[in-house]
Amino acid sequence: MAVNLVIGQIVAALLLPVFLDAVGTILVAALVGPRAAIAAGLVSQILNAVLSGNFSWLPFGIVQIVIALYAASVARLGAFKRYETAVPAGLGLGLLAGATAAPISYFVFGGVTGGGVTAVTAVLRGLGVPLPVAVAGASMGTDLLDKTISCVLVAAILRSLPEQLAARFPALAR
Amino acid sequence: MIGYAAGRSPLHRAHPYTPLAAASAVLLLAFAVSTPGAVGVVVLAAVALALLGDATGAIVRPMLVLVLPTWALLLVLHGILGGDPHLVLGPVTLSEPGVRRALVLGGRVTAIVIAFLTALATVSPPRLVEAMTARGVPFGRIFLLVSSLTLVPRMRARAVQILDAQQSRGLRIGGSAAARVRALVPLVLPLVLGALAEVEEQVLALDARGAASGARRTALDPPRDTLGERLVRMALIMAVLMAYAAKFMGRGA
Repeated sequence: MAVNLVIGQIVAALLLPVFLDAVGTILVAALVGPRAAIAAGLVSQILNAVLSGNFSWLPFGIVQIVIALYAASVARLGAFKRYETAVPAGLGLGLLAGATAAPISYFVFGGVTGGGVTAVTAVLRGLGVPLPVAVAGASMGTDLLDKTISCVLVAAILRSLPEQLAARFPALAR
Repeated sequence: MIGYAAGRSPLHRAHPYTPLAAASAVLLLAFAVSTPGAVGVVVLAAVALALLGDATGAIVRPMLVLVLPTWALLLVLHGILGGDPHLVLGPVTLSEPGVRRALVLGGRVTAIVIAFLTALATVSPPRLVEAMTARGVPFGRIFLLVSSLTLVPRMRARAVQILDAQQSRGLRIGGSAAARVRALVPLVLPLVLGALAEVEEQVLALDARGAASGARRTALDPPRDTLGERLVRMALIMAVLMAYAAKFMGRGA
């Protein structure tokens, strides 16, 4: 859970236009399974709210559930064992997460969510793109990049996991 | 500064569930209403909660940091780039429906932020743990939340150490986007592998505290929960239910 919140600090230092706030959820899905991943995703969402003081983003907890379920499914298919399979898995996750986040962003927050995504939405809107399309485009675009990098990172983590530590996670052996 | 600020206000002295219930009610009510006037009432309720908790001094700064960017973005995305008809206010042309929508959305975020910053400022974490234990919340769940809260600052400090250590070994964190993405791996791997290694310690700590046991634990000093407070929480639940009933029957504000 804490991984979801702390990676953002590294991302900010590298000035990358992504969040990587689901790496912990995807990792737990691959290591333990969907139930633990849902718990990790939801608790990290609540922790983020407690630590930032902003509880208005709690509806995005639904996205964490979708990520957990998808990541556990593709992990069972061995998607995180190789980079070549982690990339398409990440693209699929990006599409799914973006498609889940966009309606929440549009209907609940009018497209104003986070700095980077909202900036893309504002640029698209300024170019004359209708707001729902601008919100969906910004959400999908950022999520495709974000979740693909997240899945490749998870693949890198799983490949580097010491055998002794890996043996403690039965889902990894499947 | 976000977090608990010691005090003697009615919210500080209340059972921890009461301020949390009030903040949750503000959150749910904020999403139940959809006119600027009604959202304004919810914002006033949140301000009243902050006054009751004597928390205005503690929350004003973080509240402004959180809500001002949202208001600015709402003004651009809806107020300026919104649909017709438009209002001309001096040198600025604003979308009439856009401004209405911005007021509703910005008001919701403001109300929620004020209410939860107040709850965080008035609910003492150790008292909340005692209250949850007294209510029979499984120890594993309490431990999960509390240990994560203490883990995050430690992991943030470790992230800074890793960043410094890898840079001293020659890692460049600038350059092209591709180079910066590549730099993620040597920074994220030690952080995550360290966290996973800590899981074992956490499991031992949980085992030592009998987390797997289903037995109900005894709270050492449970906060007093009066009938009046239970009635207040019941009234809050009723208010939320009525607001959603009105919303779904098409009579909402």
